[in-house]
Amino acid sequence: MAQTELTDAQLIARVVVHDDRNAFSELVRRHQSAVRTTLRRLTSGNFALADDLAQETFMLAYRNLKTFRQEAQFSTWLYRIATNAFLADARKRKEELLGDRDQDVALVDGDDDASSDGFAPDHTRASSLKIDMSRALSVLSEGERAAIVQCYHNDLSHEEAAVVLNCPVGTVKTHILRAKQKLKARLYAWEPR
Amino acid sequence: MNQTPLPPIDADDDWLDAMLREDGRDHRADYLDDGGFTAQVMAALPAPVALPLWRKPALTALWAAAGIGIAFALPGTVVDVAHEVLRVILGQRISLAGLATGMAVMGASACAAAAYMLRDD
Repeated sequence: MAQTELTDAQLIARVVVHDDRNAFSELVRRHQSAVRTTLRRLTSGNFALADDLAQETFMLAYRNLKTFRQEAQFSTWLYRIATNAFLADARKRKEELLGDRDQDVALVDGDDDASSDGFAPDHTRASSLKIDMSRALSVLSEGERAAIVQCYHNDLSHEEAAVVLNCPVGTVKTHILRAKQKLKARLYAWEPR
Repeated sequence: MNQTPLPPIDADDDWLDAMLREDGRDHRADYLDDGGFTAQVMAALPAPVALPLWRKPALTALWAAAGIGIAFALPGTVVDVAHEVLRVILGQRISLAGLATGMAVMGASACAAAAYMLRDD
C-alpha cells in the first residue's frame, strides 16, 4: 500500500515500530502547511523563525512519537508541540522578538496606509483584513495570540485549545476575552456603522 | 498576580467574531507549498541505528549459554522440574484429536516464529 493511502495512525505505527523514515516523511508532508502557517501567525509573520520552529516541532514529534496516545488528533498534538516551541522561544528571546515585531509593524503600517486611504477596491478587502489582523494580533500577549490562533485559525474548540495550550479551559476563555477587547480597539475601523 | 478586571462582554462584538472567523477561514485555505521543507526536516533527523549483523546469533548463543549454565549449576532442580513436567504431561488423558491439535498448534507456532526471525526489516 502506498504511504499516501495510509491514515495518520497507520503511518505513526510504522514510524514507532519500524522507524520507517518514509512514513514519517509522509506525515511531515501532510502537516507541514498547517504547522507552518500556525507558527507564522504566532510569530506575527516572522517566516524564518516560523520555519525554524516548525522544523523543531517535527524533530520533537519524531523523538516523542512513542508517547503519542492517539487520544487527540495528530494535528492537535503537533499544534501543542508547535505552541510550546513558540512560547519557549518567545520567553528565551523576548527582547529580540519585540525588536522584530516593531519592524514588522512598521512595514505593515506602510502597506496599511494605502489600503485605508479609501481607494482600495473591494477585492482587496481580504488582503487588507489579513494585514490589519496581523498587525492587531502582534499587540496581543503570546498566550492571548496562541488562544486566538488555536480557536479561530485552527478551528479548535475551547477544550481542544486548552489541551494544546496546556492550561485550563477557563484560562483559554479569559485569553480570548482579553484578546478580543484589544483587537476591538485596534480594529475599530472595521466595525460596521 | 497583577490581574486587571475583565472588560464586560459586549453583545455587539459579533462583527469582531465574524471577522476573526473570516480571517481563520482564509488562514485554513492557505496551503503552503512544501518547497523542500520536508526534505530539510528528514535531513535533520538522527541517523537510523543500524544493528550489527552479529547481534542475533550472539544473543541466541548468550541465552543458550545461560540455559546450559543453569543446568550445570542446579542439576537437581533441572532434573526435578523436567520430571514434574513429564509427569504432568503424561498424567493427562490425551485423545488422538487433542494430540493432533497440539501438534498443529506447535507447528503453527514454529512457522510463525521462523517467519518472525526471517522477516525483512
